[in-house]
Amino acid sequence: MHHLDEVSDARLVTSIARYSEVALAEVYRRHGGAVFGLAKRVLQNPTEAEDVTQEVFLRLWNQPDRFDPGRGSLRSFLLSQAHGRAVDAVRSSSSRRARESRDARRTAEADYDMQHEVWDMAVADQVAQAMGELPDEERRAIELAYFDGRTYREVAELLDQPEGTVKSRIRNGMRRMRAVLADAGIRGVDA
Amino acid sequence: MSHEDASELLGVYALDAVDGEELTELEAHLATCPRCRAELDSLREVAAAVGTTVEPLPEGLWSNIASRLPERHDEEEAPPMPRLAADGRPFRPPAAGRARRRRNLVAGLGAAAVAAAAVAIVLGIGLVRADNKVSGLQAAAGATSVSAALRTPGHTVVDLDTTSHAQLAQFVVLPDGRGYLVSSSMPPLGAQATYQLWGIVGKKAISLGLLGASPRQAAFTMAGSTRPTRLSITAEPSGGAVIPTGPVLATGTV
Repeated sequence: MHHLDEVSDARLVTSIARYSEVALAEVYRRHGGAVFGLAKRVLQNPTEAEDVTQEVFLRLWNQPDRFDPGRGSLRSFLLSQAHGRAVDAVRSSSSRRARESRDARRTAEADYDMQHEVWDMAVADQVAQAMGELPDEERRAIELAYFDGRTYREVAELLDQPEGTVKSRIRNGMRRMRAVLADAGIRGVDA
Repeated sequence: MSHEDASELLGVYALDAVDGEELTELEAHLATCPRCRAELDSLREVAAAVGTTVEPLPEGLWSNIASRLPERHDEEEAPPMPRLAADGRPFRPPAAGRARRRRNLVAGLGAAAVAAAAVAIVLGIGLVRADNKVSGLQAAAGATSVSAALRTPGHTVVDLDTTSHAQLAQFVVLPDGRGYLVSSSMPPLGAQATYQLWGIVGKKAISLGLLGASPRQAAFTMAGSTRPTRLSITAEPSGGAVIPTGPVLATGTV
């Protein structure tokens, strides 16, 4: 038996499977800010990002067994879900047209777990540094695909490069990032 | 799709940047290739690290999520005795659909409650749900009992603290094994949840009973020669659990 903030993510998901709202709230506290942050970065729209965040956590509540701790961290599972949903939304043409910065009503709330926030900021620093060290064309391709929600074919068109080149640049860039992040001790990235 | 072609695509796939027929074919390959799945899992961790930005959470977002969690339509009236499974096994509802599982779980608890009530009497566990039910047992756990217990020679006061050393609850335990809730700062839980008190004996957690969603008064009896060394509180689904499933909110040494 452990205290709430010492309980592993995997154990929290087991509790969610048994309808523990407290466990879901704790997962939200740990990862909600990152889920919302990624959705907002892709969607450029806080309201739509909130919808995505809601969907991601409701889905975890309804289908907790979709998370397999053997396959990776809960953080990457949740972010992958959030990204997939955000990209689906952004790829619909209306959304693409409306994808400009809009006024964000921003009310800071202290719910994002401090410990995780500090960790996230440290990771963000490491990642920013590692991204900065990537060759420009690799970094650009990754950013267009990941944060703008483009397919790699669209990225190739935008950058006026062959699709195969973009595909391998993204792969090489991701692998380079993996090596750097693993060296920096970021959990879970080593193959 | 060949393994080589699939392997080439994993980087872009981890960024959700594959679409159309290629996506279908890649996912078909992934279903049969553990090597590609492992590589994908690791690339997704990289993507998660790249995608981690620190954003304050919007106010009210959690309440929106919490309010959309499916209701339990067939919530039962809580009986005054603990509704715990008596056979010592965790509930294993069938895996068909979350909503269905939910109903089955509640129905299972109803049946288990009868057996649990009998077992609870045998073990001498009496518990008061003071949040919304006034049972016959409540008088026994009233303020008089608590103050009497606190005057009884040999009594032990057990503080249950959170990790941040905040006191969540205080119990008084008598040499004969009876115990009472003295004070509580446990915040009220939703209708679908209850606090549950556990006695820790060796490495096992034994349920001492449900405290309800908003505990104010509770009495329990620890039977048997082996007394718990610690008391712990978890939050559980409203029917309670046979083994702790929720995280430990507070704990204290007896």
